[in-house]
Amino acid sequence: MPRSPTKGRRPLLSLASAGVCYRRRRTLRSAGTLHWALSDVSFEVMSGETVGILGRNGSGKTTLLKVLAGIIEPDRGKIERNHSSISMLSLQVGFLPQLSGRENALLSSVLLGEDRMAAKRNLDAIVRFAGLEDCIDDPLATYSSGMRARLGFSVAYHTTPELLLIDEVLGVGDQEFRQKSTAAIKELIKSDRTVVLVSHNLPTIRELCDRVVWIENGESRMVGPTEEVIEAYLR
Amino acid sequence: MISSRRTKDILLYKTYAELKAEAQRNFLGFLWWVIEPILFMLVFYFVFGKLLGRRPEAFIPFLLVGLVVWLWGQATIAQGAAAITANRGLLNQAFVPKALFPTVIFLKNTFKFLFALLMLLIFLVAYGFEATPIWLEAIPVLVVGGLFILGSAYLAAALTPFFPDLQVLIDNGLRVLFFISGIFYDIDTLNTSYKAVFQANPAAVLIDSLRTILLAGEHADWWRLGSVLAGALCIGGAGYAIMRVNESRYAKIAY
Repeated sequence: MPRSPTKGRRPLLSLASAGVCYRRRRTLRSAGTLHWALSDVSFEVMSGETVGILGRNGSGKTTLLKVLAGIIEPDRGKIERNHSSISMLSLQVGFLPQLSGRENALLSSVLLGEDRMAAKRNLDAIVRFAGLEDCIDDPLATYSSGMRARLGFSVAYHTTPELLLIDEVLGVGDQEFRQKSTAAIKELIKSDRTVVLVSHNLPTIRELCDRVVWIENGESRMVGPTEEVIEAYLR
Repeated sequence: MISSRRTKDILLYKTYAELKAEAQRNFLGFLWWVIEPILFMLVFYFVFGKLLGRRPEAFIPFLLVGLVVWLWGQATIAQGAAAITANRGLLNQAFVPKALFPTVIFLKNTFKFLFALLMLLIFLVAYGFEATPIWLEAIPVLVVGGLFILGSAYLAAALTPFFPDLQVLIDNGLRVLFFISGIFYDIDTLNTSYKAVFQANPAAVLIDSLRTILLAGEHADWWRLGSVLAGALCIGGAGYAIMRVNESRYAKIAY
């Protein structure tokens, strides 16, 4: 069951009328064009809550996550941050095939925002979770795609930003690991962590989110308790 | 948003990763760091030393000093121009300060250069040059050279994502620079009105200074090096500032 609404908690992040504009590159044969991927999005993320982002393909969800992650800044509107760290649950960030699984795990952890010591401390847990104890010192190039996916997931799963951004709760790897990783992510979201979750899957949103932001054509159409927004979305 | 400690960690790991990745890409691995300048030298030795018969005294050491320094700068600047675009996948997954990418390229190539330089010094001694205390003057020369190369890589990395045509211009510019920097001939022996222009280019100043110190055993011209340093700080500062100001725009460029 979702937790109770989060009144009285402190906002970790707030967007006010944020918009993001992409410019298509100008060449000799075509003039550059502008495209507003996000035009007017406003909402807040309070500490400890899970906010779902709901919207159809092309509504601007991925761009929104990038803005929240600080990868791009809004071209208009405002974003206010009060969190110490934030990162996207991105898989296989910065992986290089020539390095060993262990080295890739360290590099990827550091890129995702962990410091070196924490990354080293986490390493055993990462390897164990991925089930790669026997081949963690082999070059990544010798891994199957399933093994890479497991390592990538395990690294991302073990990072501990104050605010975690997730683009679809997708388990990876074979049947067994997929179940394990899906369950782990769900546990993580249900814990006290602050999470922003993008998903197409209404049952997932229902199960995990305290509040939902409905995005359409780059605008936030509705922000509110999960059931109310989903009801309006389906209407 | 990002601590300097984390930046240092990323630099360390990325540089190590790139070096290791490069060393493992083929059978001879890191031996290529030495073989490459030697192969390069053999070509020029054959063409200019044998076929055209124009060679300064001690032509092989002369060529090697020029080529080792040239390859350091050329590789860093050419790869530096592509440094941000080459990491566009990463840019879209996590926030990373963009100056990190050309810095990694610089560190990687500097490590390879130092390795080649060490081999060069051993070769020079074996060839009969005397290692005198004046060789220590090569250190500040290399620092100035490194700063100039890093600065150029910063500027190239900062601008190329916005103006992709620059990559072609930079590659061709480097080719021109190669021919006017006195790598396989001595600029002082030239008899043209361009001589002053050739001598003013930073690559020529660096190579000439290093030859003066290592091969002739004389002091370098610190005034010329000072102007290279000033140039390095200007272009490097400009490149760094452009990357900082546009920090969140690189991820948005449609490639």
